Amino acid sequence: MRYGTGPEVLREVTFSLRPGSFHFLTGRSGAGKSSLLKLMYLAHRPSRGLVTLFDEDIATLPRKRLPFLRRRIGVVFQEFRLLNHLSAFDNVALPLRVAGVKESTIRKHVDELLAWTGLGEHIEARPPTLSGGQQQRVAIARALISRPDLLLADEPTGNVDDALGVRLLYLFEELNRMGTTVVIATHSENLVSRFKKPILHLEDGVLIHQNRVGASSGTADPRDPRKPFGRGKKQ
Amino acid sequence: MMGRRSDLPLSRDPSVRLVPWIIGLMTYLACLMLAGSLLLSELLGQWSSGLGGTVTVQVLPREREQAKVLDARVEKLVRILERTDGITGARAIPLEEVAALLEPWLGGATAIEALPLPRLIDVQLDMTDPPQMEELKVMLSNADPGALLDDHGVWQDQLADLVGALELVAGFIVLLVGLATVGIVIFATRSGMAAHHDVIEVLHLIGAEDGYVARQFQNLALTQGLRGGIIGIAMGGATIWGLSYAADNIDSAILPQVRLLAWHWVVLAALPAVTALIAKSTAKRTVTRSLKRMV
Repeated sequence: MRYGTGPEVLREVTFSLRPGSFHFLTGRSGAGKSSLLKLMYLAHRPSRGLVTLFDEDIATLPRKRLPFLRRRIGVVFQEFRLLNHLSAFDNVALPLRVAGVKESTIRKHVDELLAWTGLGEHIEARPPTLSGGQQQRVAIARALISRPDLLLADEPTGNVDDALGVRLLYLFEELNRMGTTVVIATHSENLVSRFKKPILHLEDGVLIHQNRVGASSGTADPRDPRKPFGRGKKQ
Repeated sequence: MMGRRSDLPLSRDPSVRLVPWIIGLMTYLACLMLAGSLLLSELLGQWSSGLGGTVTVQVLPREREQAKVLDARVEKLVRILERTDGITGARAIPLEEVAALLEPWLGGATAIEALPLPRLIDVQLDMTDPPQMEELKVMLSNADPGALLDDHGVWQDQLADLVGALELVAGFIVLLVGLATVGIVIFATRSGMAAHHDVIEVLHLIGAEDGYVARQFQNLALTQGLRGGIIGIAMGGATIWGLSYAADNIDSAILPQVRLLAWHWVVLAALPAVTALIAKSTAKRTVTRSLKRMV
């Protein structure tokens, strides 16, 4: 993958994710973590190679079908990317609204999720009035509200203290137990070592496998020639 | 789908306050041009229908001819015309009526009577079987060499050409005003998209289809177009009313009496709706085309 006519930021990346698996995506800054996540949440198409997501070839999928695929993916962006002019409720409700869900259903689900994430008292608060941790939870709630098949989080603990970071990871783990495939890009060695999940490690745009597999979290084999990134199936 | 809910803070943009006024100004110009064009059409219609079934015969007085002799010549021509096929009636226009027509330019009747004015015969044609104008001219000139037939044809054609040209100019100006409105909406929409690119990207990435994003802009454009249209039509209506009021105070003999009809007002009243629809569809096309550049 490359941006415009620039150098390739990802190459020799071959892996597949088993449905219901949980992976950390690690690597130094500039290693290509965010670029790989952008490919996975369909912000970019690969400049070469093949990306298969939910049995669809992303490189050739018609543009008008991409929104329906995106609705199956929950994304927690690095800088949250909340809409500051909307309340916490409206931010979380957004994925359901774009999918055309009825307002009565939205009200019920969003209220429940915000209560579950401990934001029941801040439903009408705008993001700028919330603390970093609260904003983080709104962002996570927005990613989870449509019960995605795949959850991608880019440095979700980057703006919160260690204790809250651990709590968020437990939240992702719980979601994973409910069947959602989870990929978390992180710098935090502490979290990676604590949760013992399989790691996808990137160095200078190349995927290096580090097989630190947890008990029942599925596998990722980037060197499996039968399931290359581009020929394999992510979910 | 989502009613008028807006996920984009478009109503806070500075352009939101300005655009309706610019659209209002454009609508105002379009309203005046359209009203002018409709009035010209009406005027031409009135002239055509008024003159279409008639011709005028002028009887030129000879040098030092007595009024009685001239009256006799006119009477003779009236009788001939009444017997002619294709003519339903002929009436000698009394000198008082001619004097009344010329009064605004020449003054009182006393002065007019002193002038050697031609006498006029108003001839009504049978439009189902009208006479040949050339044959009628020859017949009249044989009966009286001083009789001239004016079928108003040349004057009417020139008038129709002039009105046609004016209507064309008005139509062209309305077109330019429409294009300017489209340009304003495109500019405002693109500015809005640039200002809210981050929000649009988030909507895009959480699965919003192009139509969902476009609807937010087109709803705003519809409101702005309607608001601007109402401003423009209100100003236009006031201007037309003011001009009509001023025209009422001018002597009717100098200016033709022509007014906008009920259906003309209906056409003008539809301008805000047309403006709103143009703004809406322009915004939709602009957003959709821009979004296609995203993955």
